[in-house]
Amino acid sequence: MTSNGKPLLEVDGLVMRYQTKRGQVSAIEDVTFTLHHGESLGLVGESGCGKTSVAMSLMGLAADNARYMSGEIRLEGENLLALNEDEMRRRRWKSISMVFQGAMNSWNPVYRVGDQIREAMDLHIQPKLSEAAAKSRMARLFEMVGLNPSMLVRFPHEFSGGMRQRAVIAMALSCDPKLIIADEPTTALDVIVQDQILKELKKIQDQLGMALIYISHDIAVIAEVTDTIGVMYAGKLVEYGSTLEVFHRPRHPYAYLLLSSTPSITGPRRKLAPLEGEPPNLLDPPPGCRFHPRCPFVTDQCRTEDPPFVDIAPGHKVACWNWQQVPVTIGASA
Amino acid sequence: MTMPLLKVDSLTKLFPVQRGLFRKPIEFVHAVDGISFEIGSGQSLGLVGESGCGKSTTGRMLTRLMDATSGQILLADNGNPVDVAHITRDGMRTFRRRVQMIFQDPYESMNPRRTIFDTVAEPLTVQGIGTVTEREEKVADLLRLVGLSPPETFLFRYPHELSGGQRQRIAIARALVINPSFVVADEPTSMLDVSIRISIMDLMLKLGDEFDVSYLYITHDLAVARYMCDRIAVMYLGKIVELAESEELLSNPLHPYTKALLSAVPVPDPSFKRAPVEIKGGIGKAINPPPLCRFIERCPIATDVCHNNDHPPLEDKGGGHYVACYLV
Amino acid sequence: MTDTLAPPSPGVEATLADPLWRVRLRLMRRSLKLNWKLFSANRIGLIGLSIIAIFAAMAIAHPILMATQWSAQIYHPVTGYDAPAVEKLVVEDVTDPLTEIDISTARIQLNPFIDLGDTVSIRSQPAPPTFTGPTPHYLGTDPLGRDVLSQLLYSTRAAFSLGVIAAVVTVFIATAVGSASAYFGGWIDTLLMRFADLILLVPLLPVLIVVSALFNISLPLLGLVIGILSGFGGTAIILKSQALQVKVKPFIDAARIAGGGHVHLIFRHIIPNVLPLSFLYMMFTVTDAISLEATLSFLGLLSIPMSWGIMINVASTQGYLLSGTDYWWLLIPAGLAVSMLAASFFLVGRALDEVVNPRLRHR
Ligand SMILES: Nc1ncnc2c1ncn2[C@@H]1O[C@H](COP(=O)(O)OP(=O)(O)OP(=O)(O)O)[C@@H](O)[C@H]1O
Ligand SMILES: Nc1ncnc2c1ncn2[C@@H]1O[C@H](COP(=O)(O)OP(=O)(O)O)[C@@H](O)[C@H]1O
Ligand code: SF4
Ligand code: SF4
Ligand SMILES: [Mg+2]
Ligand SMILES: [Mg+2]
Repeated sequence: MTSNGKPLLEVDGLVMRYQTKRGQVSAIEDVTFTLHHGESLGLVGESGCGKTSVAMSLMGLAADNARYMSGEIRLEGENLLALNEDEMRRRRWKSISMVFQGAMNSWNPVYRVGDQIREAMDLHIQPKLSEAAAKSRMARLFEMVGLNPSMLVRFPHEFSGGMRQRAVIAMALSCDPKLIIADEPTTALDVIVQDQILKELKKIQDQLGMALIYISHDIAVIAEVTDTIGVMYAGKLVEYGSTLEVFHRPRHPYAYLLLSSTPSITGPRRKLAPLEGEPPNLLDPPPGCRFHPRCPFVTDQCRTEDPPFVDIAPGHKVACWNWQQVPVTIGASA
Repeated sequence: MTMPLLKVDSLTKLFPVQRGLFRKPIEFVHAVDGISFEIGSGQSLGLVGESGCGKSTTGRMLTRLMDATSGQILLADNGNPVDVAHITRDGMRTFRRRVQMIFQDPYESMNPRRTIFDTVAEPLTVQGIGTVTEREEKVADLLRLVGLSPPETFLFRYPHELSGGQRQRIAIARALVINPSFVVADEPTSMLDVSIRISIMDLMLKLGDEFDVSYLYITHDLAVARYMCDRIAVMYLGKIVELAESEELLSNPLHPYTKALLSAVPVPDPSFKRAPVEIKGGIGKAINPPPLCRFIERCPIATDVCHNNDHPPLEDKGGGHYVACYLV
Repeated sequence: MTDTLAPPSPGVEATLADPLWRVRLRLMRRSLKLNWKLFSANRIGLIGLSIIAIFAAMAIAHPILMATQWSAQIYHPVTGYDAPAVEKLVVEDVTDPLTEIDISTARIQLNPFIDLGDTVSIRSQPAPPTFTGPTPHYLGTDPLGRDVLSQLLYSTRAAFSLGVIAAVVTVFIATAVGSASAYFGGWIDTLLMRFADLILLVPLLPVLIVVSALFNISLPLLGLVIGILSGFGGTAIILKSQALQVKVKPFIDAARIAGGGHVHLIFRHIIPNVLPLSFLYMMFTVTDAISLEATLSFLGLLSIPMSWGIMINVASTQGYLLSGTDYWWLLIPAGLAVSMLAASFFLVGRALDEVVNPRLRHR
């Protein structure tokens, strides 16, 4: 799983805030993780916790009002935050590419899907591919994502939702990226279609040896596709470790409650443990541990001191003062 | 046998597919096509299926937001069946007291210009139940029950000042304020954050027990249906293809579509290996479908029997486990 | 255009002991306050509002001045008369009629002994602004010897009442038509919308010209006609499309399930959500009405005693329209008043647009 050698991506102490009229939105707060070639990382957390902000920062596409206060994003040792827009553009799509949230609805209805992929390729592949080379490459991409290459000359409205999403993935793969970020790629799809796309994605990742960052609010989907998982809460990474480890022995109360409150079709039918309250407003996050207003394990220390993100086992990090109090078995017994 | 609370018989809804300006509609979407089921008092039935299979349309017919094309909806009133489709003016008033609905989108299902009090009290107000003070008391009681206390802090706010979870609690309060006996809940948690879903579902379960309410719970998520419902009906393109007790359905799915659906559901356990999904493609639209089994195009086990016969009837295969398939 | 309507103000906290009407009053006050804050954040709207305020002051000033300062004989806007004396140079060829007088005219009108180069004092109408004497005319007099300032102030009231009548009628009709049409659909919708198309098809101005040529049209009647035409026409169509968007919202379904009938749905749910947009179009109707009135009375088609349009009409029929800037006081005050008042309502409308339509905010 963990390949040796130099890491592909290192995010180190990243702090990013959106500047708004009403104040600073603390969307990424001290996020640190490492990704090697061919690895897959799942980022999970409820909406607004900063998943998309992390992804957009990796792509160098964060909104205009985003300010990086500290930290680095290193791709093969090179700090992306130090690059100018031109240099970043040269790396985007080729080194890192992304399937944007809701992208399947962003096809331009008046152009053929193939032409739109072709345009993206022409913009990013230097020197430009010949007509024939581009065609065969697009056909190969379509086959890879399980679409018939004859669909290339069709218009977006002739695609179903699932097919449109596959085409988006094909487009993201068009420049042979080393890392692909998929932001909620199946959220709007039915389970059967979601299942097909997840399988396709995993297969492609294995075939091409790419690294994958998979973002979802659905922890069950993350369990399916990734070998490492990062749990985000209110802009912070609160738990990070191998998927098996985190799912079977979550050490952060939020991760624990998230898992305890996810209904499943397998296993005994059990009472789920509700997570009370609501995520904080990032304009004015709570002091100390950001989870403390909702945390059943809260102590006085949590209200004032921000817990550090520390290793509690090899490759398993948690940001919680009381991680030892968290029960070992998942369930409503908390 | 006594009459169950709700009995639906061959309920059908066809939507005309418009063709040209003057041409008569000749093609129809068979959104709901002859479905039958029963819900007992205090019971809850989950209606599950992929997008566009007719779940919401069913719910809208049961609440009389939409007229059925054909079929019968019988609602028990003191043990006597009342035909909901041919209801009198007076009957409609009683019907509106007994049947309520909770909507999917907590942002859109409340008038932005009306206060929470106006919204929750609406069923009481339009039906002229109680005096203003009594209504205020009643609304305050319900707000407490749905976990919004003290009620004074919420009564005279507007929906946009509340979070999604709080609004859905308001929606639950509105649905229960006149003590209905049957509530249709159309994906009430699918727009909420995962961490809030369970508390809303628990609330519905708790109040359902307390008020003795029967639910028709519409969802595309089998895991949610399992958590919420006594029985689950699986719909495919306007037809119910399987209906059974929740645990029975999940542990012993019989219809090939149910099997596929079940094996496609991601499981929050990385060591769990799902069975491979047998079917291909996505769900279509039933526009003037041939009289064959609705599932035939995607069915991995279809044989000549299926190709030579009409859509299979929904039959009891023992112990109240209904399936519509020739090969079971 | 899904969320054309701003959310109302924040709610209020109240105890259960508070009577409901008092709570509602507080809610209303809160909402007014918030909307004023949004509105006043916009310079355009404040400018428009100040202009309107100035005109309102003018309208109020007229009866007061008539009662205290101005004698009706001289200053009455319609029947007053005064011909102030103006100093003029006697010349052979008049190049500037304001300061010069032709020698033969002077000899006929004054006395036969006048010579070239004399300065004579002659009573004249129209007379340019005079600031001294017992009866000063700060904006001069018109060709019939009536005080222009008095006319200007007097006409303000008419313009306002016309605008208000037209606007109220429009909003009333358009909201009702738009809501009913959207809510009921079917033949009611078809009927009302065909009627709207018909009105749109027929150009307003020519029709009004014909109508006013055939009948005596007073100001309130004109306001009513403009209001009806605009209310059944374009504004109804705009409000209908807004009402259609409201009609498909799930909260309408929720209200139906609560047991609400047509009346409840239309008056409690659809109209309150359409009303802000109605108010917006009300402002634009005022603008239209004021300019229309000016045009019609300029053409001499209205049977009203005095208005800005009539002031220009008098100047025109007496042949002063094309005399350049020499007789500026006959045209500029009235013309400016028409355009300023019309523009000010338009500006207020634009600013309201930002209150009503949150998508335009903080661009
Ligand atoms: N008013 C309508 N006019 C025409 N077709 C309609 C109408 N409402 C629904 N349909 C069609 O009827 C079918 C069933 O729709 P319905 O909304 O009941 O599906 P659903 O199961 O609730 O789906 P989802 O999970 O997406 O909410 C679909 O094919 C839909 O396109
Ligand atoms: N351009 C922006 N300006 C201000 N705040 C923003 C902007 N984009 C996102 N946010 C805020 O930053 C937080 C994180 O958002 P996001 O990264 O989109 O979360 P997620 O993808 O996990 O749902 C949220 O509170 C969101 O409202
Ligand atoms: S630090 Fe304290 S409040 Fe935060 S998650 Fe741990 S126990 Fe809960
Ligand atoms: S009846 Fe035939 S086609 Fe239909 S589901 Fe059963 S096996 Fe498949
Ligand atoms: Mg996101
Ligand atoms: Mg639906």
